[in-house]
Amino acid sequence: MRDEFASAWSYRLKWLYLLGVVTLLMVPVFYNLYISFNEFGFGAYNYAFTLDWYRVVFEDQLLMTALGWTALLAVCTVVTSVPMGLLAAKFFKSTRHKVATVSLMLLPLFVPADIVASALLVFFKNLTKGLEFLSDTLGTTFFYGWFELGFMTALIGLIIYTIPYVFIVILITMGRYHPQQTEAARSCGASAWRAFWDIEFPQIRAGIFSSCAFAVILTFNEYTRTAMLKGGFDTFTSVLISQMLNTGMSEQSYAMGGLVSMVAILVIGGILVGTLVRAERLERIARAKAEPAMAS
Amino acid sequence: MTIPAPEGDRRAVRGGRVNPASLTLTDRLLGENGLQKWAFYLPIVFMVVFFLVPTLLTVVWSFFERTLFWMEPGFTFFSYVNFFTSARFENFLSSMFHSSISVVVSFAIGFPIAVFVRRHVPQVAQHRVILLFILPFMVSEIIRTFMLRPVLGRNGLVNTWLANLGLIDEPITIILFSPVGVIIGEVLSFLPFIVFAGFLAMEAVPKYIFEVCQDLGASRRQTFTDVIVPLAAPGIFAGSVFIFVNGLGVALIPNILGGPGAVNAGLIATQAIIALDFPLAMAVSAIMMATLLGLLYLGHRLFNLTRILEPVS
Repeated sequence: MRDEFASAWSYRLKWLYLLGVVTLLMVPVFYNLYISFNEFGFGAYNYAFTLDWYRVVFEDQLLMTALGWTALLAVCTVVTSVPMGLLAAKFFKSTRHKVATVSLMLLPLFVPADIVASALLVFFKNLTKGLEFLSDTLGTTFFYGWFELGFMTALIGLIIYTIPYVFIVILITMGRYHPQQTEAARSCGASAWRAFWDIEFPQIRAGIFSSCAFAVILTFNEYTRTAMLKGGFDTFTSVLISQMLNTGMSEQSYAMGGLVSMVAILVIGGILVGTLVRAERLERIARAKAEPAMAS
Repeated sequence: MTIPAPEGDRRAVRGGRVNPASLTLTDRLLGENGLQKWAFYLPIVFMVVFFLVPTLLTVVWSFFERTLFWMEPGFTFFSYVNFFTSARFENFLSSMFHSSISVVVSFAIGFPIAVFVRRHVPQVAQHRVILLFILPFMVSEIIRTFMLRPVLGRNGLVNTWLANLGLIDEPITIILFSPVGVIIGEVLSFLPFIVFAGFLAMEAVPKYIFEVCQDLGASRRQTFTDVIVPLAAPGIFAGSVFIFVNGLGVALIPNILGGPGAVNAGLIATQAIIALDFPLAMAVSAIMMATLLGLLYLGHRLFNLTRILEPVS
């Protein structure tokens, strides 16, 4: 049998294939960016670079309000889903019911957005009616409007969407942490919080920050759950989809798409470069430590 | 050597043990056996209340009776009859067929990448290479799907390139607003996931296995079908289920790329909600959940899906 390592060309072709698939997946995104910078828009024979379409987006008050709502949702999603993902990952490490825990945390990945959104919509409507009935029975207005469709229901939908990603990223990072270090800190008298903050957190920090970035990007990308559960306000993506479906793609739509894509590319690209640089630095340190030992 | 406990903790800690008598009420409430302990259950409770309960309740609501704007408690099979005896069921079956093709195509394109990375890329660099696929996965699915229109359309990128290369005289129209367009959209949307799942699955295949197979004279096909696939089966199955179920349930792809008449379960559910037919939407959701759980149960019985978790357990 032929050894595949013997053929350098076979090896190069496989690399070419891998990079080709990544490029293929990015073609629609790059094409969007290409059109968004064209003064003449999509399908024009001439091409002239411009930032005017982006200026139009930033000058549109409706879009800026929608962007503000999206940013607020993103912040609230990060603030809630990342600590919950972290707690869930720590719970998973310590529980005996690992299969049940991981199934519950990861199942939302497998359930399509439209199905979760429909179920949550009906759930919140029923919950609102149930709480109104309870309020009327008790003769109070205290429970009125708790789960009316609005910011909080959209946020709950987003937490359910982002928590599996946050959970898995933190869990993978925690895989490299040795829990004996926590035990050592505890036996030295540190409280659980101090053992976490001083010993564990610095080692899983990269995973937590990455999960924050993922949560922000996922919130900016998400449409279905937010559209069904948001009530009266608009998000950036819901305006974009509404434009795309109702009035067709305008130059402004390409610029909006370009903006969303650029944020994702910059954040994820930053994480990728950061990860590579950090790994390289750690390797260099490890090599520097190993060299004297190897020499002796 | 004894390391002294920090000042704040010293009053309550003696020789590594907590002295209960020294704990204040606040310490007890906020301490390790109080709120701190229960905080770990918070995500579980949240997911049960806002994810598990609503998705399970879809079964109950699907038997409710439809009213003009809402639904009322009752027990009727009307929504299921409505679903199974109309064109919706045919659409559901055809979207199952298209999703199956998407699974096969995604597997054929994506899994060799996972095998290549596992087999040929040095251990330290493997995760970094796989991270490349995070980038397209994290760019909005809406943008990636919608931008396929100008890419695949009559005057789009693909037809222009092919015409410029002299490969076609007439634009290819079957790649947009057709089932082929839906399959292309599903493959490009979900392909990164099969690479991730495949890579995770390949963690179960030790690198020396390839050398052993080579030493024993196994052909590439034999190595793949008799060794790699059985060992990586749980991950392959999980990735395939993800693509299959999302192909059935993500309404955006047939809505944008499928043209008139292209419908899947997700689109049926959202259209039912727009038409204020909530029991029908819930029946479709319940059918989707039953399909998903049935597939996962089958996969667990056949391949023991918990094996996927071994690297992170």
